[in-house]
Amino acid sequence: MDQHKMTIPADKWAPIDRGAQDAEFIAAPSLTYWQDVRQRLWRNRPAMASLAFIIFLILAAIFGPMMTHHTYYDQDLKLSNIPPIFEVYQTSPEDGEPQYVFLNSGNFKLYEVNEGGEILGLLRAKRKDLMKKQHIYAFGEEELRVDYSQLPATLVDGDGNPATSLGLKWNQTNWFGTDSLGRDVLVRQLYGARISLTVAFVAALVNFFIGVFYGGVAGYFGGNVDNVMMRIVEIISTIPLTLYVILMMVVFQSGFLSIIIAIGSVFWVDMARIVRGQMLSLKNQDYVAAAKTMGASTKRILTRHLLPNTMGPILVTLTLLIPSAIFIESFMSFIGLGVSVPMASWGTLTAEAVETLRAYPHQLFFPAAAISLTMFAFNFLGDGLRDALDPRLRK
Amino acid sequence: MSSAPLLKVDNLTTHFHTSRGDVQAVRGVSFDVKPGEILGIVGESGSGKSITCLSVLGLLKANGEVVDGSADFEGKQLTGLSDKDLRAIRGDDIAMIFQDPMTSLNPTLTVGEQLIETIVAHKPVSRGEARKRALELFELVKIPSAASRLDNYPHEFSGGMRQRVMIAMALTCDPKLLIADEPTTALDVTIQRQILLLLKDLQEKLGMAIILITHDLGVIAEVADRILVMYGGMVMETGDVYDVFESPQHPYTTGLLDSIPDVRSHKKERLTPIPGSPPDMLRPPEGCPFAPRCPHAMQQCLEAMPPLFERPNAKPTVHEARCWLHHDDAPDSLKAIFKAPEAANG
Amino acid sequence: MMALTLFLIITLTFFLMHAIPGGPFTSEKMLAPEIEAALNAKYGLDKPIWQQYLSYLQGILTFDLGPSFKYPGVRVNDLIREGLPVTAQTGFLAMLCVVALGIPLGIVAALNQNKWQDTTIMAVATMGVAIPSYVLATIALYLFALQWNLVPTFGLDDWRGYILPVAALSGFWLSFIARLSRSSLLEVLGQDYMVTARAKGLHPQTILFKHGMRNALIPIVTVLGPVVANLLTGSFVIEQIFALPGIGRHFVLSISNRDYTTIMGITIFYAAFLMLMILIVDLLYMVLDPRIKLAEKS
Ligand SMILES: Nc1ncnc2c1ncn2[C@@H]1O[C@H](COP(=O)(O)OP(=O)(O)O)[C@@H](O)[C@H]1O
Ligand code: SF4
Ligand SMILES: [Mg+2]
Repeated sequence: MDQHKMTIPADKWAPIDRGAQDAEFIAAPSLTYWQDVRQRLWRNRPAMASLAFIIFLILAAIFGPMMTHHTYYDQDLKLSNIPPIFEVYQTSPEDGEPQYVFLNSGNFKLYEVNEGGEILGLLRAKRKDLMKKQHIYAFGEEELRVDYSQLPATLVDGDGNPATSLGLKWNQTNWFGTDSLGRDVLVRQLYGARISLTVAFVAALVNFFIGVFYGGVAGYFGGNVDNVMMRIVEIISTIPLTLYVILMMVVFQSGFLSIIIAIGSVFWVDMARIVRGQMLSLKNQDYVAAAKTMGASTKRILTRHLLPNTMGPILVTLTLLIPSAIFIESFMSFIGLGVSVPMASWGTLTAEAVETLRAYPHQLFFPAAAISLTMFAFNFLGDGLRDALDPRLRK
Repeated sequence: MSSAPLLKVDNLTTHFHTSRGDVQAVRGVSFDVKPGEILGIVGESGSGKSITCLSVLGLLKANGEVVDGSADFEGKQLTGLSDKDLRAIRGDDIAMIFQDPMTSLNPTLTVGEQLIETIVAHKPVSRGEARKRALELFELVKIPSAASRLDNYPHEFSGGMRQRVMIAMALTCDPKLLIADEPTTALDVTIQRQILLLLKDLQEKLGMAIILITHDLGVIAEVADRILVMYGGMVMETGDVYDVFESPQHPYTTGLLDSIPDVRSHKKERLTPIPGSPPDMLRPPEGCPFAPRCPHAMQQCLEAMPPLFERPNAKPTVHEARCWLHHDDAPDSLKAIFKAPEAANG
Repeated sequence: MMALTLFLIITLTFFLMHAIPGGPFTSEKMLAPEIEAALNAKYGLDKPIWQQYLSYLQGILTFDLGPSFKYPGVRVNDLIREGLPVTAQTGFLAMLCVVALGIPLGIVAALNQNKWQDTTIMAVATMGVAIPSYVLATIALYLFALQWNLVPTFGLDDWRGYILPVAALSGFWLSFIARLSRSSLLEVLGQDYMVTARAKGLHPQTILFKHGMRNALIPIVTVLGPVVANLLTGSFVIEQIFALPGIGRHFVLSISNRDYTTIMGITIFYAAFLMLMILIVDLLYMVLDPRIKLAEKS
């Protein structure tokens, strides 16, 4: 029907009830900036998964080592380089209980286990036949031979037939296996997490304080103070900082504290720049001027007005500083400048795994996975945070 | 003015696909532009003025889509044209200049180069000839010491001068239609007038048609022939500038006129702005989009979208307004809100 | 400015190294005190520190980084000259990969925003940014060299030897540059002047390269200096893992040997090299961004 011509009943010409309408308008809740940020972050799946992972990791690093009798330094050379998963073989004696063994194909040694996968001990070979490249083990009447004439080594019975396999079992004694000194990899891994995370958090925090302080002062005072301070920052940022972390580590001698100092004192330049930039732009805004005219002190303006508004970019920089700190620490440890033995960080663990890479490649898996996943998580979280804080970037 | 229209836009409808749903930026806009006339489009920011023009030229961002309607330029259907054919028209027959001359010029190329590349893209001329043409254009838009300024970069110009560069760039191929999207909004008040007068002057010299987008009714009053008032992605009122200014037929137009210093008396004081804010184009209201802010809103306005009602006109151009108050059934008390236009006198 | 920075670096390095408790020869327990004194005298370590500093500065002015403390008769210059070809070759190839692969990948991702190309490239790049180079290097070494025997485990005797070190060295920065190129180009694509370029009826290719990439390159070029720096420090572990006889390996060795003059010399060499790179990047930057020139002139 043509709307120009249709008839409109008289009651439709009544003015609308503004009261009801306004209520409708108020009903749509308007979110504050931070509520909005939180909501956007919450909807970002990778960022949230990362946050969950990081929390899990922190909890594991704090409580994990308490829940086991293994320590990060106890060595047992008889049980070195045990894998986390192994193939269990069964002996079949004519009388009595069967015994269970597994073969460590990296060192051709045979270990006794129980049916569940707990390690009972290293077995001694009865005889070593160097010509045939076989180690012969006796189980009562029965014989099992480790044949390493062809790699990978296999386990055969006295007649040369393959031994009876029960399939793969998870190592119940050392869930992640042991290292070349027979230390429990899981516990070392958890201690490694403690150290890597502590170093990263503390170093990031130190950088944060230096950067916020430096940038805040430069931006707040502006003028010549700012000029000189930013010149210095410019010089520092052309210096290859990793080199200086290395030099400092050489000077201080390796150790937990030195690496925190070395990393913590060097990477604050970005933070300082960001804080200064924010400070400069915020300084000219009305509410700061208002606070000033009302006689607020410098310190109060800095902490009450400027910092809360600079929080967003600082937070993002901080989240992204942590993975760099983790990386630098592990890098230092990897080239032998990290924490001292027997303490271990992920970097040292990786370096140790590299030494035994040919025989026991699996040892690389845990430290490599741990550090990569953690870096992933912090990167995703940082990206997510940045997107959440800056709606313009969103599509 | 009875010549065939240069550009005929019919029921143009443009949506932006976003993660929160479709933004209905333009909702069934129709208008035409005749050769040599200046059409002013006014409306508050966000009312769909820019998107209407960008849709016509196929310059929408990747998430924008013309979902309905058409734009016809000299018998060519622009909305269905291939990118290659559209490219041949853009910058040649239809040129466009933008609001912010600070950001609309490429900062890393000399202004001369930015002119020359446009000429070379459309005309079979050498770069040398193109450069000569660029120089002529610089003189045409009155850039002082034009020859030496061709090799300058945009940051070496002031805002007003940059807008002159933009205008020169738009004129490189003698367009039949120039779309000027808020060409003076970003400039100092003193410069605004100069640019406006330059545009008017060039239009008279070169005889092109201009679509002049602005949210400043004063600008329209000064130079435009016809006016299109947009709100919420729709045309609210259209007609000859004289008719619309003398006897606005839509509460929104009245509101706009009340919110600017009187163009006629040149009084400088600020008057009442329209209270409230424009509708959310993700979920535009079912009825009249202006209803939440309209002082006369009625039950009918909330329930149904008003059509465009034809209004009496003093000038030859049709005068239409999208408001239920003009419906036949409206009580006389309400009809009396709008003053009838004076008798035609030219 | 550069010279000042370099001077500060030299000074800082010198005094850091001399702040280490004990002389360079104290760690060797078997040295008799007379011999240690003789060694100290031979290397001028018995002189006051400021004299040592001045003579070191003098040496640097004549491009002499002094003797190695650990290899008798070997000078730090010799170590650098010996390692330079290897480090320079792998570093150059890695840099080439970063630029020649990273930027195009970023462009492809940006132009196909949120399509599968973008998702794939960004997923891999995120991985590349997260996995530390030495982990990547070791895994690659294990898989490609030890398991599948596709490439040699060490040395650069044939071209295949370069693949893993270069890949491991460039992995992080390749990913980083790809991500940066993507975001930079996306930012530029949203700029008003890109709409202007389209409104002028230019060819899409002209729009993308002449207007888009040229502007998008500016932030990329600014990080290339630091990228070179980090490729260099990255080469320490890469050279160690793949047993390449480059400067980085000498550096790591000198650290474990506590060969202070070598540590100092190589640090200063690196720093000087980096200053040079940053200078080049600055020049490139000026070519790309005309706004800089004006700022420097005025
Ligand atoms: N790329 C985009 N994505 C989503 N919405 C958009 C986009 N571009 C414009 N819009 C929306 O389209 C509407 C009309 O915009 P525009 O035509 O630019 O208004 P104006 O009248 O001020 O020129 C606005 O509500 C704006 O938010
Ligand atoms: S239709 Fe109703 S709400 Fe809309 S402008 Fe007219 S009177 Fe106001
Ligand atoms: Mg607009």
